[in-house]
Amino acid sequence: MGRIRAGFEDFGEQVLFAGEALAWAFRPPFRFELLLHQAAAIGVGSTFIVAVTGLFAGMVLALQGNYAMRQFGAEGYVGGFVAISLVRELGPVFTALMVTGRSGSAITTELGTMRVTEQVDAMESMAVNPIHYLVVPRVLAATLMMPVLDVVFTATGYLGGYLIGVYVSGIAPGPFLDHTRSMLEVGDLEHGLSKALVFGAVVSLIATYRGFRATGGARGVGEATTRAVVWSSVAILVVDYLLTFISIG
Amino acid sequence: MIEIRDLWKSFGDKEVLRGITLDVEPGTTFVVLGASGSGKTVLLKHVIGLLRPDQGSVVVDGKEISSLRGPDLTDARQVFGMVFQGSALFDSMTVFDNVAFPVRERERRIPHDELLARVIESLRVVDLGEDVLDLWPSQLSGGMRKRVSLARALVANPKIVLYDEPTTGLDPITTNSVDAMIDQAKERRGVTSMVISHDIASAFRVADRLAVLYDGRIAAQGAPEEVRHSDDPYVQRFLSLWFEKQ
Repeated sequence: MGRIRAGFEDFGEQVLFAGEALAWAFRPPFRFELLLHQAAAIGVGSTFIVAVTGLFAGMVLALQGNYAMRQFGAEGYVGGFVAISLVRELGPVFTALMVTGRSGSAITTELGTMRVTEQVDAMESMAVNPIHYLVVPRVLAATLMMPVLDVVFTATGYLGGYLIGVYVSGIAPGPFLDHTRSMLEVGDLEHGLSKALVFGAVVSLIATYRGFRATGGARGVGEATTRAVVWSSVAILVVDYLLTFISIG
Repeated sequence: MIEIRDLWKSFGDKEVLRGITLDVEPGTTFVVLGASGSGKTVLLKHVIGLLRPDQGSVVVDGKEISSLRGPDLTDARQVFGMVFQGSALFDSMTVFDNVAFPVRERERRIPHDELLARVIESLRVVDLGEDVLDLWPSQLSGGMRKRVSLARALVANPKIVLYDEPTTGLDPITTNSVDAMIDQAKERRGVTSMVISHDIASAFRVADRLAVLYDGRIAAQGAPEEVRHSDDPYVQRFLSLWFEKQ
């Protein structure tokens, strides 16, 4: 019972932390240079790894799609299947998981180290609110960059799916592209990008909260980072289900 | 200027502060002496609002710090500078950016030349030259880190400076220069200082008034000579070890 209660208290504190970050986001001064710096670290820094994972995810989708659909003689639909899977589901979810592993863990480690070495206290003592200075730019940057990375993942994924579908599985390019156009709708893009936006906020809020809660030196920072990655991954899948349910439930 | 009234603080079952009451007058240096684990740092963190008391109050310049929250608390901290035990320099910033940080945050449109001049002046007060401006905290010795931390605490001309164990881990010469800096800040800039320390020699050198903290309570407080001749058995034992050596 004690652990369940502690879990609820922790969740409540996380929600209050998110509310505080939201309130500070609209308060001047607006530190655009910090926002750009974080956008570069999270966005540009993650582009390569997101593109590589996107490429292989698309290639696997094409192989699996072709394997399933050729039993019905429907190989031409593989293009549409790859595109919809990437745009609606795999793009935002895989991108968020990759950003969690790369940037979320780095954020928790950095802020956790600052917390246990009193750098966060020092900032407060200089009349600078650490949530305003450290958390807001990271959360805004992750929220804005996640849809951009999602587009990178989806585009490279579709390219990978096309290359495998057309050049390995022997699907004709015409039907591959035609069925993508006929099956994919603007609503699918909106659905995927809005998920990426929400995941960006969720992942960065968990990472910054865990960093701020770190205690007890290097070991405490390590534990905080592990928790950030685990809970971000769980949160991505839970929120993904909820958003999908709201959308098509 | 700083009024602490009946301050109580516990962490779990452990009572760390048990009814602390003291006043720090403007333009004076107040030292809180005590052994490790006596609650000194916890007391100091209450003064600047980094911790909230379970009971009691901290009033600074007429504002009750212990009841402020959010932006009001952030604004109230404008009068403070603080030197942390482990220096707490931002390790992702150079010495220049560390010292410039409080000025940049308070005067966002300050021209770079003016900012540079203020940083250099502040570093000069702590006997550091321009050659350290581009160094990273990891490239500095412990004593240099402490001095940069002091320069950062003084650069924005705070009315009150809080020192958390400013001489711990320093050699005797650097300890003397840190003591001199605390005196200089008081004499040249009229700074009010609150120092917490277990360094008895340093405490008696810089203090206008002094308190000895023991087991979460103040065992004695007053002018240094009054505290030295206190009847309290703990204070006698705590101070005698050092005075007998002299």
